[in-house]
Amino acid sequence: MEKYIGSELMSKIVIIEDTEKIRDELKTFLIRYGYEAVALTDFENIIQDALNEEAKLILLDINLPIVDGYYICREIRKQSVVPIIVVTSRDNEMDELMSMNLGADDFVTKPYNTQILLARIESILRRVEGTNNRDILVYHDLKLNLSNGSVTYKGQTAELTKNEIKILSCLYKNKGKIVSRDLLMDFMWNADAFVDDNNLSVNVTRLRKKLDSLGMTNNIETRRGLGYILP
Amino acid sequence: MKISDYIRDRTLFLLINFILYILVCVALFLTKIGSSIILLTFCIWFFPLMTYMLIEFVKQKLLYNEINSIMNNLDRKFLLPEVMKKPNSVEGMLLYEVLSDANKDMHEHVKSYQLLEKEYKEYIETWVHEIKTPIASTRLIIENNQNSVTQNIKEEIKKIEEYIEQVLFYSRSNHVSKDYMIKELSLEEVVKNVVKRNSRDFIRKGISVDLEDVNGSVYSDAKWLEFILNQLIGNAIKYSHERNGKMTISTIRHEQNIVLTIEDNGIGISDKDINRVFEKGFTGENGRKYGGSTGIGLYLCKKLSEQLGIGLTLTSEYGVGTKASLIFPLGSTYILS
Repeated sequence: MEKYIGSELMSKIVIIEDTEKIRDELKTFLIRYGYEAVALTDFENIIQDALNEEAKLILLDINLPIVDGYYICREIRKQSVVPIIVVTSRDNEMDELMSMNLGADDFVTKPYNTQILLARIESILRRVEGTNNRDILVYHDLKLNLSNGSVTYKGQTAELTKNEIKILSCLYKNKGKIVSRDLLMDFMWNADAFVDDNNLSVNVTRLRKKLDSLGMTNNIETRRGLGYILP
Repeated sequence: MKISDYIRDRTLFLLINFILYILVCVALFLTKIGSSIILLTFCIWFFPLMTYMLIEFVKQKLLYNEINSIMNNLDRKFLLPEVMKKPNSVEGMLLYEVLSDANKDMHEHVKSYQLLEKEYKEYIETWVHEIKTPIASTRLIIENNQNSVTQNIKEEIKKIEEYIEQVLFYSRSNHVSKDYMIKELSLEEVVKNVVKRNSRDFIRKGISVDLEDVNGSVYSDAKWLEFILNQLIGNAIKYSHERNGKMTISTIRHEQNIVLTIEDNGIGISDKDINRVFEKGFTGENGRKYGGSTGIGLYLCKKLSEQLGIGLTLTSEYGVGTKASLIFPLGSTYILS
């Protein structure tokens, strides 16, 4: 049985973006990472449409037909406190300042690094929904507590190092799927852990030993030539 | 203006006067008029003439002195006709008008080029802005279809992005002062951002990176600083050895400054090239050997860091490694300047 806290509220994200390709791909991307994504296509009553979705977060482009993103941002802010991340290809300070002044919560410039975008979304949602929801990841009987860096398995607890937590949470996010070493490395680097190839192997081995010692026998598996998997 | 110059200018005039006077003298002499009269004639002839010339000399001398002193104090010399007093003499007025006309024409000429440059710069900005949309969608498509082919494309896309960024920063590099926001920046954060941007290359080439000793904060513009760092780190990656590359980024705090050093154990730069690396278009031996060098990156780094008041030095030992240092001034001397 698989359950994890927070899953019952798959966060709904509204995408306001006029480039069709980006809109669709972004939607696919967010759905793949476990969000409910809605892309608005009609810009006539965009503000009301966006509010009607009652989303947890809005991704907003600035250059839009009919009205621009700044206006939308200001109007939404008048009626709702929903978090807004402005996503734009303009990258001067004035745009950033203006977005923040109009009530946006964050500002990401195109072409964004998708992992960074995900991280920003996560951190805003965590802030809005309170800290507890997303700090404890549960998988089978394994509980990973992100706030104090410990894992608990059937009542037994072990402390993890920073790198081990990052490895485990990456595998957790992709549970049941093979995670290539490259992807894992990418994830680690994006999370400020600049490990090299050897370091990664050492860390995975240590993590596996710790989980073994807790009595979790079938934990991380190595698929030769492919990567790791949390089955 | 010296008096000798003034007199030399009027040699012909004086000569004619003397010849005429001598002729008159000869005529007077022949008509047996006394030498006292001849002397008197000399006085009547030359006293007013000399007085007039003296007054004229003083007047001209004053005028030219004034123009010279204005000229020396002006930082834009072409503004002279706007600043100087209008001369009274016909000759002076004529020259003044000619000068004003020439100036006006020059202004229009310069203006038209300024306009062209501005339009071009605006076009580049718009172009860069436009091209980011297809790049963003390409990145998302790659993200949603991950396999070895798209991973390769992703690496190439990153290169395209870097070149595009270079274009943008090049077009802005002459007007840094209009486009920056100085904030307190944590060096650690800036360095980490740039390392993350290059994470794929670090991982792919197996370069280990040590950021343990990056501390302190400086006042600068994040966007420009990240660009400079990205070029330096990008170079360090590009010219590293496969598999056993190592990059150490660290800061040292001195009394007057913080020095951020990026050290690699790559191929290094030969002695004959090292002094020319900041020249525009210089690619050197490494550029020829490894290709893909435009000779713009370091040139831009130097130019931008100068405008931001950051020192940039590069030392290298051929075959051993290269060390790039960014020197951020600290304290009152910096703020005052």
